[in-house]
Amino acid sequence: MQQGIESSARIGVYVCHCGLNIAGVVDVEAVRESARSLEGVVVVRDNRYTCSEVGQKSIADDIRELMLNRVVIASCSPRLHEKTFRTLLEKSGLNPHLLEMANIREHCSWVHYDDPEAATEKAKHLVRSAVARARLLQPLSRAKGRVIPKVMVVGGGVAGISAALYLGGMGIKTYLVEREPSIGGHMAMLDKTFPTLDCSLCILSPKMVEVAECENIEILSLSEIEKVEGQVGDFRIQVRRKPRYVNEEKCVGCGDCAAKCPVKVEDEFNRNMGTRKAIYIPFPQAIPPAYVIDEKNCRYFTQGKCKVCEKVCERGAIEYDQTSYTETIEVGAIIVATGFQPYDARGLPQYGYGRFANVITSLDFERLICADGPTYGKLKRPGDGKVPKRVAFIQCVGSRNASSGDRGYESCPEMGPRAEAAEPKAYCSRVCCMITAKQAFMVLEKYPDAEVYVYYIDMRTAGKGFEEFYRRGRSEGIVFLRGKPGEIEETDDGCLRVVSEDMDSGCILDLTFDMVVLAQGLVPPHGLVELAQKMNLSRSEDGFLMEGHPKLRPAETGIDGIYLAGCVQFPKDIPDSVAQAGAAAAAAAVTCSKDTIEIDPLGPVIDAELCIGCKLCEMLCPYGAIRVELTDKGPKAKSIEVACKGCGVCGASCSTKAITMKHYTDSQLTAQAKAILEVV
Amino acid sequence: MESVQSKDASVVTILDPKFKYEVAREPGGENIKYCFQCGTCTSGCKVAELDRKYNPRKIIRMVILGMRERVLASDFIWLCATCYTCHERCPQDVRIPEVMNALKNIAVREGYIHPAFRAQAELIAGNGRLYEVDELANERRTDWGLREIPQGSPEVAEIFGMTGLADLLSGGAGGTS
Repeated sequence: MQQGIESSARIGVYVCHCGLNIAGVVDVEAVRESARSLEGVVVVRDNRYTCSEVGQKSIADDIRELMLNRVVIASCSPRLHEKTFRTLLEKSGLNPHLLEMANIREHCSWVHYDDPEAATEKAKHLVRSAVARARLLQPLSRAKGRVIPKVMVVGGGVAGISAALYLGGMGIKTYLVEREPSIGGHMAMLDKTFPTLDCSLCILSPKMVEVAECENIEILSLSEIEKVEGQVGDFRIQVRRKPRYVNEEKCVGCGDCAAKCPVKVEDEFNRNMGTRKAIYIPFPQAIPPAYVIDEKNCRYFTQGKCKVCEKVCERGAIEYDQTSYTETIEVGAIIVATGFQPYDARGLPQYGYGRFANVITSLDFERLICADGPTYGKLKRPGDGKVPKRVAFIQCVGSRNASSGDRGYESCPEMGPRAEAAEPKAYCSRVCCMITAKQAFMVLEKYPDAEVYVYYIDMRTAGKGFEEFYRRGRSEGIVFLRGKPGEIEETDDGCLRVVSEDMDSGCILDLTFDMVVLAQGLVPPHGLVELAQKMNLSRSEDGFLMEGHPKLRPAETGIDGIYLAGCVQFPKDIPDSVAQAGAAAAAAAVTCSKDTIEIDPLGPVIDAELCIGCKLCEMLCPYGAIRVELTDKGPKAKSIEVACKGCGVCGASCSTKAITMKHYTDSQLTAQAKAILEVV
Repeated sequence: MESVQSKDASVVTILDPKFKYEVAREPGGENIKYCFQCGTCTSGCKVAELDRKYNPRKIIRMVILGMRERVLASDFIWLCATCYTCHERCPQDVRIPEVMNALKNIAVREGYIHPAFRAQAELIAGNGRLYEVDELANERRTDWGLREIPQGSPEVAEIFGMTGLADLLSGGAGGTS
């Protein structure tokens, strides 16, 4: 019995009740009995909680006493407890890869709660197939990977800034990557923050300055992620550095260049309501505090002559010959903090945004009322500059809207690839109720005799000081109307007619306003789909990045070493973004604190005898992790282990079956599939 | 079970909690339970503008509450003009005009047919069309060189029989309140 034990499988099968989570639906005893007669099975047990101390001990005892060499656990998703049981196997002297899990909770009892018999049958099938695969499992040795004690934070909004500051403060070298010319994100565009009415930039810009001054943080502005390779502890990231055409070191931000620049264009920072020059600084507190040339509009770049800015710049900071280039940066962990984009209200044409000059959105309002905005803080309506006396706010524009498919409207052609931002979203964007309450309050602050109405479905004011703020708003005279308007009509004088059902009075209200503000929702940022693909990250149904676990790993992702902060995970307010940034920074710091990291031994094994060097695997590999190289036996595929994520595309596509995936061999998977299809 | 009202007409003491499921099972009523009472439907409803008795939001509320009798016996479910404005705007995809169709179908099965619809149906059953072609009309058509229109339509009557509409009309289905 001592020799040859590895070749004949001695399998222990453990079926978990998970309290009533599984046993409430699945007949656990029946599943247990069905596994008893399977080939190679030495022992079968059921436990109330297999993950408990008692449950684990019974497995450890069996491994020792019955000399088990494979373990099958039928319980929850491996995402939850695979690590627990692998550790148990290791402690008990078994290779951790000799474990197989059958998910009879998420895949059986939970989804088939209404059909216990079928759920039980499915559980039996899954256990049978897990046993079939377990027989063929092979011990694998885990490699140790190096850890580069540096972090890249992608996105320079308040979440990215906070994460970078935490990391920099811990002495960890941090790269803060921002695609715009300045860090600051959406928070820099806000006039005030709720519920304290703090000036947004007054509280943000000290943090931005701190980032600039922190010796451990390097800001890469005008930069985007091009490619991500490697794994936890050892990522290689290619960053596209776009030219600023102004030397960041030399520019002191004096503004002489912009004063003389002859080209005026719409200012996107002011939501296209004001103008800026072709050489500009997005806002006075920008970091890096350097001007930037907008090459699409610059006269020199479009017409080949001008160079006025170069002539007036006393510091010689203008560099027209800067070019875009790729820089490769190695880090041990990545924090994704790319935020959100505001919902494009043109997606709901009944409210007339983009057609009626005096229908604006929440973010437009922030710029309109900001001292540094297009009207220098004097709230005027965009159509004719008149001071609005009657202002309406409409909530849930693009949020809480689960209407499916084509609603009969043509999509707006000029939106182009950004049309996704105009798709209404089913979720509540969480911040709009408070943004609206704040803005309604700010209207009354500017014009105490104004009439302010808020159309809402439900007011959601869960947060510290939020309900108190809502109360204060009512006492200031803001009228909250329960009932969402169906449409907005423009009158001849540019005013806006809004008809709604006021549910509380039972009346149909037909009111006319000088200005209407649409509380636009928060939607996933432009380019997130591509970024998620580059990093192999999953997105949730709502389009935002999926967290590692909705309760317990909210700042992690499914990929080790990549963490989330801020709205890229889901809409949240500033304090929540900052808090999550702290969590992500802590998690990244844990990774960076290790000397080495154990790497899961997943990836291809290439049989050089069978490989014909056809390059199919090389073409299909999404990570550039397999390459055909010329050897003395001709061209042969070679795996680049550090880049491989173990997806299996090479193994599945290999025409000569020269590639076998470790831990997912053809024979293992076929045995598993056959066992499921087997009729008992 | 039924929605019975106490002496005070505004106090409802008994609700039928199953009614919403019944409506959801009826083709067209599937999404009714998603309604979160935002009022977008009523805000843009052209019928509601003319006749305050018709308030789609309230009708859906009454269904969800389970005021079965009161909804089915009412004439307001028959007022929907099926313009689909609310359908396009409803953020919860409740498909209100189709919900109204579902309610009308249940109402008819329960014997509630709005008198106007009964009158229309009887006209079509008898004439094959919504208006009666009399002798005079046919004489005039002959003068103009047009062919006579036959009175009555056995084919339409057959359709009424096959679809069960004839039975519903003769089955003493009463009018509505």
